Amino acid sequence: MLKRLRESKSSQGTLLALPTTLWMLALLIIPLLLTLVISFGKRSADGEVIYSFTLNNYTRLMGYSTKCDNGAASCFDPLYVSILWRSLTLAFNTTALVIMLAYPLAYFIARSHPKRRNTFMFLVLIPLWTNFVIRVYAWMMLLRQEGVINLILGWLARLFHIPFQPLEMLYTPGAVLVGMVYEFLPFMILPIYTSLEKIENSLYEAAADLGANSIKTFLRVTLPLSMPGVVAGTILVFIPVMGTFIVSDILGGRQVILVGNLIQRQFLDARDPTFGSAASLVLMIMTLIVTYFYTRKFGFGEEIVVA
Amino acid sequence: MNPFRRSPFVVVATILVYTFLYAPILVLMLFSFNASRINVTFEGFIPAFGDRTVMDGSLVTQSPCGPFHWFCELSKNRDVMDAAGNTLKIAFIATIVATIIGTMAALSLQRYDFKLKPFSQLSLYIPIVIPEIVMGIGILTLFSQLFGLINNSLHLTGDSRLTLGLGTVIVSHIAFMVPFVTLVVQARLHGFDKSYEEAAMDLGANEWITFRRITFPMILPGVLSGALLAFTLSLDDFVITFFTNGSGSTTLPIYVYGLLRRIITPQVNALSTVWILAVFVAVLLLQMIQSREQKS
Amino acid sequence: MRKSYLMKLLVLLVLASMLLTACGGKTAATQPADGGKKVTASGFECPQPEPRMEVTSKELNLFVWTEYIPQDMIDCFELVYGVKINRSEYSANEEMEPKLASGGADYDLVQPTDYFVGLLIRKGEIQALDHSRLPNIGNFDPGFMNKPYDPNNKYTVPYLAGTDAIVVNTAKVKTIPKSWADLWNPEYAGRMIFLDDSRAVIGFTLLTLGFDPNTKDPAQLDAAKAKLKELIPNVKAFDSDSPKTALIAGDVDLGMTWTFEALAAQQEVPTIQYIYPTEGAILWQDNWAIPTHAPHVDAAYAWMNYSMQGNIFWLTLRDFTYTNPNKAALEYAKANQPEVYSAYFDSPITNPPAEAIANGHGIEDVGDATTLYEQIWTEVKQ
Repeated sequence: MLKRLRESKSSQGTLLALPTTLWMLALLIIPLLLTLVISFGKRSADGEVIYSFTLNNYTRLMGYSTKCDNGAASCFDPLYVSILWRSLTLAFNTTALVIMLAYPLAYFIARSHPKRRNTFMFLVLIPLWTNFVIRVYAWMMLLRQEGVINLILGWLARLFHIPFQPLEMLYTPGAVLVGMVYEFLPFMILPIYTSLEKIENSLYEAAADLGANSIKTFLRVTLPLSMPGVVAGTILVFIPVMGTFIVSDILGGRQVILVGNLIQRQFLDARDPTFGSAASLVLMIMTLIVTYFYTRKFGFGEEIVVA
Repeated sequence: MNPFRRSPFVVVATILVYTFLYAPILVLMLFSFNASRINVTFEGFIPAFGDRTVMDGSLVTQSPCGPFHWFCELSKNRDVMDAAGNTLKIAFIATIVATIIGTMAALSLQRYDFKLKPFSQLSLYIPIVIPEIVMGIGILTLFSQLFGLINNSLHLTGDSRLTLGLGTVIVSHIAFMVPFVTLVVQARLHGFDKSYEEAAMDLGANEWITFRRITFPMILPGVLSGALLAFTLSLDDFVITFFTNGSGSTTLPIYVYGLLRRIITPQVNALSTVWILAVFVAVLLLQMIQSREQKS
Repeated sequence: MRKSYLMKLLVLLVLASMLLTACGGKTAATQPADGGKKVTASGFECPQPEPRMEVTSKELNLFVWTEYIPQDMIDCFELVYGVKINRSEYSANEEMEPKLASGGADYDLVQPTDYFVGLLIRKGEIQALDHSRLPNIGNFDPGFMNKPYDPNNKYTVPYLAGTDAIVVNTAKVKTIPKSWADLWNPEYAGRMIFLDDSRAVIGFTLLTLGFDPNTKDPAQLDAAKAKLKELIPNVKAFDSDSPKTALIAGDVDLGMTWTFEALAAQQEVPTIQYIYPTEGAILWQDNWAIPTHAPHVDAAYAWMNYSMQGNIFWLTLRDFTYTNPNKAALEYAKANQPEVYSAYFDSPITNPPAEAIANGHGIEDVGDATTLYEQIWTEVKQ
């Protein structure tokens, strides 16, 4: 038997891949299937799952409602669709802002003296490795009514004799956006830096020799070659933002509800695992669709490995 | 030569972004010395060392540890130590398992063709492209249903009941770490020069010896990178742990989240400062290793 | 060359984790209980358990409300019984229940609020208590025992009670609200904090419409939903963990919260007041219950008895001052901790005047109608 194993390349391959595949089967595939099954179920009065087959949860998510104001039999309730939309736009906005902030920094580091690059990257890695929850808390301290930012603004206002009302920054959708950008910024800096760093100096020299000015060089040389990094970074930012619930929980005062919060609540507070499962799967599908179209256009960025 | 390097736009942007990255962290660290227990505004450093802690309302006016009062409180906090211990235990065990099976998978995907391959590949890509919460919910559902079934049908009671705890957290961590390890090692194998292996085989070594003496040492840096990545993913994980932990398996991120739900004393800041300093030291070590690696 | 450095890093990590694991394992609780004096980290001297119960378990898993159990109470139990306590927390009953319902939890004690007990009994998630193992149960004031939701205390014993009412920073708010209905005043828009408590918020909305806060009538609930939808945009934040923080920090100026949150806020900012609304405050009581599949039942009974002792339970008066149902604790405090006692007794927050209690409303289990309340809550909080 062992001899056959040695000779058959394909059974060797299977054997090596087996532990991982089994693990993923047990902890990814089966849970997803289970989630699917439950999403078609009904909720008992006490919050338990009644296994059946109904599309109620999905139609409810998409806005189908039988409790209409004008007495009609059915109408459109935009509640959940708006939550999905809000999460999508937040993810897009966050990703865009992150790219705008990350690119100059990554560029600066990539084009600085090789000996200093490590130090600059070192400074980026520290926030990256600091705990997620702690970084969100840090923003709470800055944004509150009597927090640091208002303190500084108030002091400046007094200096210039401008009347000043403390800004209400905490517990707003803006706070959630800032929190998200802050959390995921380092995840974009790294891949962009990696791809920029690979661009050899000779390319810049060649472009200059051919008479291109700085802007042209950037658009024709730098940007296209850095795309794999931007793509990889986008995937690392967009997907988590779609699913995060802590940032909106802590910085949004439990008022800004994103898909992640909706799902978490269904499993904890509202005790409706069927609806929560449906929402979870819709989130997954939405994320996969966006990622699919994005990578089809821009590539998967496999060349960039974050390590 | 470097048309953009001195561009003022880039330099200014860089300074702003670094400020943006560090301002919250520095404020956080500063407040860990806050004399005010309720920690809303900074009321100055705790002035005096002394033999016992004295409070004036919500201000600490004296403490045996002086300005480091909150760090001392932290060291007396057993829950934190437990959480830290759990976090490291979990990260450690999960990393070892994930690295081993992930490396094996990378080897198989990169070098072999077998019927299971598309399925294996897919199952490893999915966790990277779905939000963690989807996976967390799924795993929670699985464990709830599974444990409920087993506990009831076998009539288990007391300590022998299957429950959420360290075991479930570790198993779940391995699940989300493996795809990353595999990806990293695969990347390393991608540009692998097979001629060394072929030479060894020509010289009479069998496959196992070739692997042990040629292949493995050459991919080791990639494997270790993957292991390090996995380790940090586990240390920092919140979502998956949130859904799969039980009593006695609290990790540091979960613990901090719990602290944020109570009166937030500067003790939280002290914990954050310690964490940031630990990260600082770890990253420093890493940089030193990498720079030596580059030299050799 | 590089291999050895990476190896060294790995060795470092191994040592670090071993070190921390060792530190984590060494706890005060692993020392066996002996006759010597036990003192907690804060300097509190632990009284002996009376009576001392048989405990073979080594751990106790508490699943409790945030900011609710005095640290000294926990430390003392660990010291005198040598049992390690694992504390997990929640900030809403609805958050606690799914963990009990799923097959996977291993908690030994939970703290359901009055209206929630019925649900837990119905679903078989808590077990009947053996009163012979609760010798100290006589310490409680009969007014808090034998409640309609748990006749003869078959499943629960009281922990703490209190009210939900209006809290307001009188220095910052021009018109002081006097009733729940006043909260709809546009002047308060964006300045309020509410508890993240579906039954309480929907409940007081029903009160403003003149309805029963425990109604099952869908028409009345729809009316409440419509009214609540007007109010929610004016709420700045929902917080059942530590609403006093936002009040003290000035992020919000008024709202609705529990007894102790208001008291603690008032201690920091004296202009903060607690007002019992004219329609009636919400009265509640939290209780201990043992989940059906608790792995350490003996430790659970030992905990309940120990914490019920007057010389231990008075710590709640000191640390988390809510309305105290424990006669023995009150007597102990009166005799030995007069400051703590008078602070409790004299404050209308912790010791509500008789009219406030008479006028108050409890929240009750509404059985099947619970789904309606939950749906309303999800819909209005978008």
